[in-house]
Amino acid sequence: MTRWALFGAALILLVALAGALYRQSRRAAGLRLQLDAATLELQQLQAACSRLAPAGVVQRLVADGAPPSPEATAERKIATALFADLVGYTAMSERLEPAVLARVLNGYFQRMSDAIHEHRGHVSTFLGDGILAYFGAIQPNPWQCDDAVRAALAMRAALEAYNVELTAEGLPALALGVGIHRGPGLAGLIGSRERMEYGFVGSTVNLAARVQGLTRVHQVDILVTEALRAELDPRFVLALMPAEPVKGIAEPVVTYAVKG
Amino acid sequence: MSTVLDHVAWEPCPFEPQRDRALEAYARRKQRIPNPALAYFAPVPWLARALVDLHPEYGLLLRLDYGVMELVQLVVSQENSCRFCYAAVRAMLWAQGMSRGRIERIEQDLARADLPPRTMAAIAFGRSQSRTGPAGAVAAREALARAGIGEEEMREIAFAVALTDFSNRVHSITAIPSRPMERLPEQLHARLLRPLVKLILRRSRFRGERMPAAAVSIPPHSRLVRVYEGSPIAPALARALEALWASPVLTRRCKLLIFAVVSRGLSCQTCPHEIVTALRREGLSDATVAQVLTHLEASELDPVERLLVPFARETIWYEPATIQRRVRALRVQLTPAQLLEAIGVASLANGLCRLGAMVVDAS
Repeated sequence: MTRWALFGAALILLVALAGALYRQSRRAAGLRLQLDAATLELQQLQAACSRLAPAGVVQRLVADGAPPSPEATAERKIATALFADLVGYTAMSERLEPAVLARVLNGYFQRMSDAIHEHRGHVSTFLGDGILAYFGAIQPNPWQCDDAVRAALAMRAALEAYNVELTAEGLPALALGVGIHRGPGLAGLIGSRERMEYGFVGSTVNLAARVQGLTRVHQVDILVTEALRAELDPRFVLALMPAEPVKGIAEPVVTYAVKG
Repeated sequence: MSTVLDHVAWEPCPFEPQRDRALEAYARRKQRIPNPALAYFAPVPWLARALVDLHPEYGLLLRLDYGVMELVQLVVSQENSCRFCYAAVRAMLWAQGMSRGRIERIEQDLARADLPPRTMAAIAFGRSQSRTGPAGAVAAREALARAGIGEEEMREIAFAVALTDFSNRVHSITAIPSRPMERLPEQLHARLLRPLVKLILRRSRFRGERMPAAAVSIPPHSRLVRVYEGSPIAPALARALEALWASPVLTRRCKLLIFAVVSRGLSCQTCPHEIVTALRREGLSDATVAQVLTHLEASELDPVERLLVPFARETIWYEPATIQRRVRALRVQLTPAQLLEAIGVASLANGLCRLGAMVVDAS
């Protein structure tokens, strides 16, 4: 009798143990699946990040598990900055309903970003209704000046097509001002501990923004600086504009309007 | 079985495979297993043969471990988003007896750095060369040296990376269908034949033997080929380059222009001098060469060159679907052979510029 009781107890213990093992193996399999999914996601994220910052920076980010110090990623580069702004945005924003305004703006940003990406530019940031893009800051690009001007011409064409759609809906047509300059700057991870992005900073970007402001003065949509013109394919049709003083620059700035 | 490249968009292939029995027999003799992708490259024999002859697995390596080489190929194909080559390396690992779970774990280890330091260094080198190109060559070389990898092995790793870059570009830009390769381990006939394939693969792989140094002069890559003197890589590379230059599909000048554009885009220091000299011999003035390299256009270019010079630049950094759509558009203006040869030349230029930066410039 005792023997049967012991046998029964051992059997119950064995079944309980087997049950626990089975549950444990199921749990381990579940965790393995989660780990696989997380690793896959991490690898895809890493691949996606390579398009937002130079590969070396992404590798250091992944290897260190935390943003590397700005000093570790910073380097001097010659790149081309393109600054675009909507003309008459303030007046339009007061007239349109917020939902309509958001739709119009999103449509505008999408089309402009597509035009920039198509010509190997990188949209760094949207500043209100403005767009800041770089050429040659993330990957070396010896054709960055031609690319930037081609992107600006593609933006012009995309905006014309968008205006046809907007006018058909009874919405106001948009107008664009683009300033492009090429020069040295500091490229690297820039920002606060909470929000950091790969950027290109310095007087080149500031001058591109100032030149964009001159499009209102000269009543044209695309302006490039002398430094950019010097590197540009001579087949682009340019028109010399009168030199104009701009904030922060001692000498008046010579610009060229891009006709086509 | 989901992979890291599942999200990579892949367009339909704009080329038709062409049966070429001589090419099939040649590939089977060398690799022992059929390679159906080669039929897509049959219109350009040097390209199809280069894909077979420059594969490091068949008699080209003296020192580099095959296991490390496969991991390097896996990671470089991943970096270049080549779904076809990535699936092909995975299929090879599976056919050699590795379970799908083990392959997945290896892929995870590639990200988690659980492998031996020398293997990790080789993998990191492959990643960095595919991502940064010649710009990162010095740092990549130093990292390999720190891991205790000697000069000869380093040159073989660089060759494996460069040739994977070449193969990735050829298969990605032409959009060779990747699904059959991705689905191979799931198919019944493949599972049944797996032990046989494993045996064939084991027997077909072989180590190279030292070769006597021979005078090699294949401008514009003489210096690069000379670096591999004594290794079976030198004659294989020399033969592939000779066949490339001898091919009548595109003119020699057009091929040189493609090499020149890729070399400028990658800021290569090895090739430009020899390429510019060769272009001068083809009758192009220095001013025209400068105009082409600065603006990818010149009035002296013929219609085919005018299409292929800007295209060459697009093969340096690309997303597969974007460049595949570009190829589809070019397919209307060029013959399949012209387009395939241009893709082959640009792909080899990308591989050789990266290789030159490592084994010639940085040494």
